[in-house]
Amino acid sequence: MIGVVRSELTKITSLPSVLIATAVLLLLAVVVLLQPLGMLSDSLAGMRPDGTIEFFTGHRQQAESLVLGLLVASSLQPGLFLPIIGAIIAGQEFRSGHLGVSVSVVPRRGKLVVGKVIATALYALAVGVVLAALSTLFMYLGVRDWNPGILWSAEALAGQGRFLLYAVTATLIGFAVTLVARRTLVGIIAVTAFIALTMAQVFAAVPAIDALLPLSAARNLLLEPTTNVLSASPLHGAAVLTGWAAVAVTGAAVAVRLRDAR
Amino acid sequence: MFHGRDRLQPLRNLGAWVNVITITGLSKRFGSNKAVDNVSFSATPGRVTGFLGPNGAGKSTTLRMLLGLDRPNSGTAHIDGVPYSRIEQPLRSVGALLDGAGPVPERRGADHLRWIAQSNGVPRNRVSEVLEQVGLSHAAKTRVRKYSLGMKQRLGLAAALLGEPRTLVLDEPANGLDPEGIRTVRTFLRSYAAKGNTVLLSSHLMGETAETVDDVVIINRGSIIAQGPLADVTAGHSSLEEAFFALTGGTQSERW
Ligand SMILES: Nc1ncnc2c1ncn2[C@@H]1O[C@H](COP(=O)(O)OP(=O)(O)OP(=O)(O)O)[C@@H](O)[C@H]1O
Ligand SMILES: [Mg+2]
Repeated sequence: MIGVVRSELTKITSLPSVLIATAVLLLLAVVVLLQPLGMLSDSLAGMRPDGTIEFFTGHRQQAESLVLGLLVASSLQPGLFLPIIGAIIAGQEFRSGHLGVSVSVVPRRGKLVVGKVIATALYALAVGVVLAALSTLFMYLGVRDWNPGILWSAEALAGQGRFLLYAVTATLIGFAVTLVARRTLVGIIAVTAFIALTMAQVFAAVPAIDALLPLSAARNLLLEPTTNVLSASPLHGAAVLTGWAAVAVTGAAVAVRLRDAR
Repeated sequence: MFHGRDRLQPLRNLGAWVNVITITGLSKRFGSNKAVDNVSFSATPGRVTGFLGPNGAGKSTTLRMLLGLDRPNSGTAHIDGVPYSRIEQPLRSVGALLDGAGPVPERRGADHLRWIAQSNGVPRNRVSEVLEQVGLSHAAKTRVRKYSLGMKQRLGLAAALLGEPRTLVLDEPANGLDPEGIRTVRTFLRSYAAKGNTVLLSSHLMGETAETVDDVVIINRGSIIAQGPLADVTAGHSSLEEAFFALTGGTQSERW
């Protein structure tokens, strides 16, 4: 099994499109992270004795909760593209009949899928860790004159942990949808359409339903309830995201097992 | 090496009946098209078995079912009495080259072989060895997209040889190879079989095939129409090609 996971990791890291997509995502993260820096320093400079600052115009809040919120929220924006990386990882199997090679060398398809899932999760975890490190680094630049220790507080680490859970589940959802669709582009379109649908707040009128969508679950898991309109608790979000990933991966495993390897 | 109960283990210990490919009553439909219809034959160690038939006869589909890629509607395909898909690290006992199952074009040739080796616990140094063997060392770091047809074919053969298997299943191995490549492959397969290994290959090239194989199996429209030692099948015809046309009903007047 370790051999299969290693081979799947090699497939991921020896494919230029995966590496390019990852580089673009990290670049985007830097752009997203640079933006609030100036504003953050300014608002921290104008902190009141009660510890509140005004970062969002007209909204006063505790500096701690703002910084902790920003730390995780700024990872989510580039992290929205993680399912696309999952789709590219899965989609390579459907180019040039590559799945035929994969199944002929690892004919036990359950084992093949498990190996792929573990390798994809590990890669997502690595990208997630880099994203979280970037967020920490840039937030440090913003808060170093005030309270840099906050970035290592238990709360901050818990927030990063929640983000890593998001990174792995979101990537696996894009990966699994593509294994079922058998086309990278179909996987990417399906994932993007779903994100757009959630963004458009089609289901926002009914929070109970909204909370069951993967992107809403991600927001519930990662964002600050004081500055965002959320539909459920972080725990609920974690459960929903994990559930989606589990269902999608199971569906993909069944599809790969039943179908001819083409 | 084998998963589950291995009833053949006593035989294998005696050194008997090893590397036998047995296909029994194999059938596959695509919609209403019977691509493979009740096909049975075997390929035995020490011999090169040629699997011949016109385009669309069902050769690739049969080999894909043998290797567990396509699901048969009925019948079985076994290697040493077990389905290929039950072999734990199949590369070490069976090497395969399949039509329409190839590397991702953007990947480097050596990386393609590297992941295959890792998946079956084959030592890493085998990658450069097989690249050398098929004459691709100079293109190891080249992306497969830039390979010629023959180079891709050589890469596929290299992948089949990675695990030093005792059985080779090759779908049109000569496809795209230059005359020298064809001769090298032929010489290799002959000596490989002579060492007691099993070779099953499909081909279109009758002249070439006749010089390579010991046994032939001829398939037409999904059904086996002749099988046996080369001499038996060609008896009464001037060449394998003539026998092939006589058996498959193809005539000189048949034009596109
Ligand atoms: N994926 C598929 N979907 C539908 N029909 C298929 C599929 N693959 C093969 N077939 C059909 O199955 C039959 C056998 O095809 P196969 O590829 O096995 O022939 P072949 O003997 O390998 O031919 P060739 O010499 O051209 O490689 C053909 O009629 C073909 O159209
Ligand atoms: Mg074919």
